[in-house]
Amino acid sequence: MSRVTSFLRQPIVVALALIVLLLYLGALLSPGFASGAQILRLLIVASLLGIVAAGQNVVILGGREGIDLSVGGVVSLSAIIAGNVMNGADIGILPAIAACLVAGAFFGLLNGLGITLLRIPPLVMTLGMLGVLQGLLVVIRMGIPSGQAAPALSRFVTQPLFLSVPGIIWLWVAIGILMAFMLNRTVFGHRIYAIGSNEHAAYMAGVPVRLMRIALFMISGMFAAVAGLCLLGYSGSSFANVGEQYTLTSIIAVVFGGTSLAGGKGGYTGTMAGAFLLVILQGILTTVNIDESGRQMVFGATLLLLMMFYGRGRAMRA
Amino acid sequence: MAEIATSPTYRRAGGLRRLLERYPFLPALAIVLVLLALNGIFSPNSLSYRSLTGLLSTYMALILLAIAQTYVVYAGDIDLSAGSILSLVNVAIIVLMERWGGGAGAVLLALAIGLLLGLACGLVNGLVVAALRLQAIVATFATSIFFTGLALYILPVAGTPAPTIFWRTYGGRLLGLPFVFYILVGLVVLLAVLSRTRLATQLLAVGDDQQAAYQTGLPVVAIRIRGYLLCGLFSALAAFCITGDTASGDPLVGGKMTLFSVAAVVLGGSALSGGWGTVVGSLLGALTIGLISSVVFFMGTPSEWQNFVQGLAILVVLMAGVLAGRRARP
Amino acid sequence: MSKLKLSGVSKAYGATLALRRGDLEVMAGEVHVLMGSNGSGKSTLCKIIAGSVRPDDGRILIDDTPVTITGPRSARAQGIGIFYQELSLAAHRTVEENVCLAALPAKARLFVDRATLKERAARYITLFEGVSGEGFSADALVGNLRPDQRQLVEIMKALASEAPLIIFDEPTSALDRAQVERFFEILRDLKRRGRGIIFISHRMDEIKAIGDRVTIIRDGETITTLNLNETDAGTVIRLMVGGAGDMPASQSSAPAAVDAKDGAALTVRNLSGSGFRSVSFEVARGEILGFGGLHGQGQSALLRAIFGAGSIGSGEILIGSDRFDAASPRDAIRRGCAYVSGDRGRDGVISGRPIIENVTPIHYLRDRLMIARPSKLRDKVAPALESMHTKFASLFHPINSLSGGNQQKVIIARWLIDRPDVLLLDDPTKGIDLSAKADLFALIRQLAADGLGIVLYSSEDAELLGNANRILVFNGGSVSRELTGPERTRYNLYQAAYEAA
Repeated sequence: MSRVTSFLRQPIVVALALIVLLLYLGALLSPGFASGAQILRLLIVASLLGIVAAGQNVVILGGREGIDLSVGGVVSLSAIIAGNVMNGADIGILPAIAACLVAGAFFGLLNGLGITLLRIPPLVMTLGMLGVLQGLLVVIRMGIPSGQAAPALSRFVTQPLFLSVPGIIWLWVAIGILMAFMLNRTVFGHRIYAIGSNEHAAYMAGVPVRLMRIALFMISGMFAAVAGLCLLGYSGSSFANVGEQYTLTSIIAVVFGGTSLAGGKGGYTGTMAGAFLLVILQGILTTVNIDESGRQMVFGATLLLLMMFYGRGRAMRA
Repeated sequence: MAEIATSPTYRRAGGLRRLLERYPFLPALAIVLVLLALNGIFSPNSLSYRSLTGLLSTYMALILLAIAQTYVVYAGDIDLSAGSILSLVNVAIIVLMERWGGGAGAVLLALAIGLLLGLACGLVNGLVVAALRLQAIVATFATSIFFTGLALYILPVAGTPAPTIFWRTYGGRLLGLPFVFYILVGLVVLLAVLSRTRLATQLLAVGDDQQAAYQTGLPVVAIRIRGYLLCGLFSALAAFCITGDTASGDPLVGGKMTLFSVAAVVLGGSALSGGWGTVVGSLLGALTIGLISSVVFFMGTPSEWQNFVQGLAILVVLMAGVLAGRRARP
Repeated sequence: MSKLKLSGVSKAYGATLALRRGDLEVMAGEVHVLMGSNGSGKSTLCKIIAGSVRPDDGRILIDDTPVTITGPRSARAQGIGIFYQELSLAAHRTVEENVCLAALPAKARLFVDRATLKERAARYITLFEGVSGEGFSADALVGNLRPDQRQLVEIMKALASEAPLIIFDEPTSALDRAQVERFFEILRDLKRRGRGIIFISHRMDEIKAIGDRVTIIRDGETITTLNLNETDAGTVIRLMVGGAGDMPASQSSAPAAVDAKDGAALTVRNLSGSGFRSVSFEVARGEILGFGGLHGQGQSALLRAIFGAGSIGSGEILIGSDRFDAASPRDAIRRGCAYVSGDRGRDGVISGRPIIENVTPIHYLRDRLMIARPSKLRDKVAPALESMHTKFASLFHPINSLSGGNQQKVIIARWLIDRPDVLLLDDPTKGIDLSAKADLFALIRQLAADGLGIVLYSSEDAELLGNANRILVFNGGSVSRELTGPERTRYNLYQAAYEAA
């Protein structure tokens, strides 16, 4: 394979090409779709998804059927906690951040413990945890009035902060840089890939496999919590199950970013492109004038079509 | 890998272990019995004939959906679109029955078309996952969105009522016995028949080790597609039950049931990695989910806590299901 | 009559040529032995015949008619049955289901005909009656069986194909003598009935006992086919290893004793665990202690257990004079123990990752690093790789781009940045080429000279004789004989290995 074709086949190149293509398509369908303001709006939405996907990404990279279905619940929970802790006052932002991160880490820890100590498959453990979280949401929502986002948080998410770009997009960029650094330049990152691509070899080379895996689920919970906080800023007030949609879309974003669900292969930069791609696709579908049913059918079919570009399973005959 | 004879890796199967090996759904059965007992303690009335019939007719759809899910899990696959197939078939038959006048003939014809629709959805999933080799978890999520869109196209908002003859039959009695009992008996017979098919053994062999099954000469792709076909078929049957129970069409009715169906399969002691499981276990797993909500309700849990306690209880039994299942299998 | 004829069959995986030119002709009524060292392409050749690997080139003739095999199903339909070295069993199915899995007897086309299945499976199960061991029955789950019993099931499964041509790819590696003998009786019967059989084994005595002709494969190429009764073991081995195999290693070339003045590097006393029992030995600093014996007699299990990756029942281990019982490899590494496995794919290679990341994990652990700066790491990694003459284009290329031998060098280089006190080598040269072996052993001797205590288990006698100062021969999980000084001869090694087996 020549250098050019192998470059073109890189998932991130595919994702970026598709992004450009979809933006062009969007502009054709609805003039102004690819305008700066509209792209910024899409990027805000994408950053919410992208932050959840960052956690999902590390869990999936860690392999052993790693997946976190509880992220949607954590996003919702965090939005509610944040809303109640800050309750419309800027002074409450720091405590809210702390509370959300603790909650996210706590549920991640529970997931990690169940998966490593009891060896419950991640899918089952996080699925069960999702049910618990959803129950918890009901409890909290009935017990206390729904909270409000602090004005500063809303401004951070929706208003331009620097170079007329909102703070949340800068936050996303920062997370992107941080993730790239972590995955490529830290021992922790190298160990994530090691356990993801050959867990046994990693164990034989002294990698603390269980601790690593617990840490990955905690990271996932914390990223979901951060996303929940930002989501509160985006929507202004918290309501139940705002985060539900993120569970599976975060997985799709990771897949579209070129990370293999089998683990050990991929990175976050691609996932960022994947998240943006997904949001643009949804954006186009809301722009064009078709009803909900058509939108869903096109969305589902397009997802399938796009999946054909990414890591299809290996044929059984070598 | 060669090991030596001095290391007896052969584990002598003890009585309990052997029993579990033969009947992997025993832990699920025990959980169901405990939950029934708890139900009885908190509210003796809940064990009445009437309440149990009600429970069964409410959860028959989930039971069937869990069984649908089991057949793909046998082969190590998963179907996140099962719930949306249920929704799609639900609205399709509702609209057809209404359009054709709601007579007995119309109902039967609509049901036949519902089954075909379920099979068609299963075929799509099978082709996408087994033939095109996309990841089951994301690919069936994508098809679920598509099926939901189709359901919304057929019936944009929930509400069209089912013909009286349909839900009266489902909720009614036949020869003095509740109709759902006949469904249950029919289902048990059907499952017994299916478990004797070559397909059941082949699905399990594929789930056990896909490469080994291929090297053995099994048509792995075709077998996995058939698994998805069975899944579509049983999802359609589940849709009939939900239609009988709710007596109306709702394009989103099954959305929340997919993950419950996966949970029920795990509760029943089947391994999500494939190769090991029973449909009876999934049946019991679905009942467990139903009984847990019922126990939580009869315990007098404050209403806002019910979902939480239910979620926690399901998580606990899920973990128990996995641990017991692991003990049972070699 | 020629049952099967292959000519010029080849197969490449990416840049690696697994099979360069495979030629083979099997007659009806013969047991045709395939011989070649690990990685020479035997298994690839077998899998091409059985349809599970697609050849890039070459012709296949069955009964003198050119055929195309499109997959395992098509191979079966054309009369080929196979025993897979890695087995092709469904662990959660019963013995009888596994035996008949390829063609489940049907009733009304849809249902499994249990009665016929039982009867058909019983035909093959009874063939091994009396030697199949405790717990073996038609309705036992395969996952509950011992390794030798699973191998028997795979044999029965191959026999159940009733194919005119059956391939047995290392069918006897886990079997005991009685089982092998029974199996050979069955093979002789098949021969009489005119079946063609391809047989792979590494045990010379078995090949002599059952084989008619032998085809030798070296580096993916068919070298020649010989009549077994017109040749001897020495000729076959020379052909297998090629020119470089003529090393006069019948007597040990390693010094019989080393200066033990520095004391023991590793002491093992009365150690028992899963796979080995009551093993005691001492390795001095600077000494290379060899472990010999047939494959799977507890050598690997013992080495893994010392490294913290196996279970230990009783006994004690000391490194230097400190008690050492590692709870995990991580623990063992921290305390100066190193382990290199011959099973690179499972224990060593972090596949898909850059070469540099495959060298650094031990360094990360022992230096408690947090940040991995490539510029700094390169200075540590490069000399380690150089000392092994590792060939690579860039440290940042994936390890999979290297040949097997170079991959193994990368894995060994891991241990060279921060020197361990004890080095455990578990058949480290499995499947690597001769020049890589030479580099490896040069390094091992150098490490010993630097004062490491080294334990070397090798499945190749020549490697032990050429490098070990002493040799412990394992049999059935314990040391059956210690060979020191002039006792270290190929003959003694061979004899001790086969003594009780």
